[in-house]
Amino acid sequence: MWIDLAITMVKIIFIVTITVGFFAPVLTWVERKQSAIMQDRIGANRADILGFTALGLFHILSDAIKMFTKEDFIPQGANRALHTMAPIIALTPAILTFAVIPFGGQYTLWGKDVNLVISDLDVGLLFVFAIASLATYGYVVAGWSSNNNWSLLGAMRTASQMISYEVTMGLTIIGVLMVYSSMQLTQIGAAQENFWRWGIFLQPLGFFMFFAASIAENKRIPFDAPEAESELVAGYFTEYSGLKFGMFFMAEFIEMVTIGAIVTILFFGAWHIPFLTTATLLSMFDFLGDSGANLVVMLIHIGVFFGKVTISIFVQMVIRWTLPRFRYDQIMKLGWKILLPLSLANVVVTGIVILALE
Amino acid sequence: MAYYVDRNVKMTWWERSYIPAILGGMLITLRHFFKNLFGFVPFFLGQKKDREIFTVYYPEETMQFPIAYRGRPVLALNENNQPNCVACGLCEIACPAYCIDIVPGENSGKQNEMERFPIEFTIDYAVCIFCGFCEEACPEEAIYMSDQYDITMLDRKKMKYNMEQLLVPVSELKDRMEFCRNMYGKWNY
Repeated sequence: MWIDLAITMVKIIFIVTITVGFFAPVLTWVERKQSAIMQDRIGANRADILGFTALGLFHILSDAIKMFTKEDFIPQGANRALHTMAPIIALTPAILTFAVIPFGGQYTLWGKDVNLVISDLDVGLLFVFAIASLATYGYVVAGWSSNNNWSLLGAMRTASQMISYEVTMGLTIIGVLMVYSSMQLTQIGAAQENFWRWGIFLQPLGFFMFFAASIAENKRIPFDAPEAESELVAGYFTEYSGLKFGMFFMAEFIEMVTIGAIVTILFFGAWHIPFLTTATLLSMFDFLGDSGANLVVMLIHIGVFFGKVTISIFVQMVIRWTLPRFRYDQIMKLGWKILLPLSLANVVVTGIVILALE
Repeated sequence: MAYYVDRNVKMTWWERSYIPAILGGMLITLRHFFKNLFGFVPFFLGQKKDREIFTVYYPEETMQFPIAYRGRPVLALNENNQPNCVACGLCEIACPAYCIDIVPGENSGKQNEMERFPIEFTIDYAVCIFCGFCEEACPEEAIYMSDQYDITMLDRKKMKYNMEQLLVPVSELKDRMEFCRNMYGKWNY
């Protein structure tokens, strides 16, 4: 019992370390540096320790120091309690979704079954979407409590955009659920051991719609009307400074990781290497003994999973720095008139194909 | 040449889905990304000449300016270790920003000595507008625009350069001198 608890604690610490401790700070650097390199600029390279710049990686440190030491400003007429609470409401769901996201399969280590997911819920996928939608409250409350016109407009746009694209997202994953006939993320991942059973081959249209909808959910650039710098200053977090602003930023980056993880699990074979089943991998490391082979395979699978997540984040970044922002009516039109009918059609076609194959 | 965008162009539904346009745009940014990732970011691998793009790592690398570039004005120090300047004050008058301040001095007229020379020659770079009129007005080839442009100080008073700071050996100004002779026709003197 104590060993189970210890294993769970290790998994929680690992997930928190890799999202809040690794991905969120490093992505702030990646976003600046990658965009700079794409646009023939130099990017962050000034912060140095003893003249050593490490390609600007120390900007993460200086950013953190700046965020912690900045004045925490609450505007006059703002609702102090809600204004303080909003970033917490926005950040918590982003981290919470990782409770059900598997980052590896099941392994037997020294007679102990290790399932690389913190909580293996039967309705894992539903849980992710239920929790992720809660973040909307954070954004709306942030805009509402700031006593600022820009913030309020940004919050209204956030609310409408979230509602529009949540529908598409929900309908898109129904196709995936029908194909794998499970809502458990670990089972969906395990079902994709065969390369040709990956979600991208079974649900190609679903993948594109899901990806577009999830970028819209994250409010990143082609769909960034809620924060639109050129129109609304900074949208719902105009009146935030210091670490509260940093929390909104962190929520955005962690959501990127969440999107990457969900896309990887649903469409890109989760932790599996193409054409290399777990059994083959295990037999390759047979000389290490049963537990040793399992351990090595587990580490390989974790690496593969986060590698795929990184590639997904890279694609999101490329999209963010390539496309211009949609007009507000175009966002609504894309959501309701194009993606929604397409996702419905996707569900129907998937159902017919499954029925025909049976 | 005026370029008109045909806004009534008929597009196929494949083009209207914007997918080819989106993928094309992403290809362009990706091409730039990978080209710069290997040719530009590891700055220690290649200097500016070997790169396709002309962004420079500014304080570490500096650009080679064309000779016509007008940086901060400097005074020419000739081979006898004397300033070419004779303190005539023409540059002071030509200066539209009034940033030049000259205190002239005179000799008694002995041989092998400058008849007139500046005791003090001050240029306030906080006021200077880098127009180059002083260079054009100078009859003695004494003041030249150099290619240095990064004059940054924490104190405005330090932007006032005195004669010791301004003097530059004439050998360093050969190219600019040649350029000015062609430009302003000073070979007639």
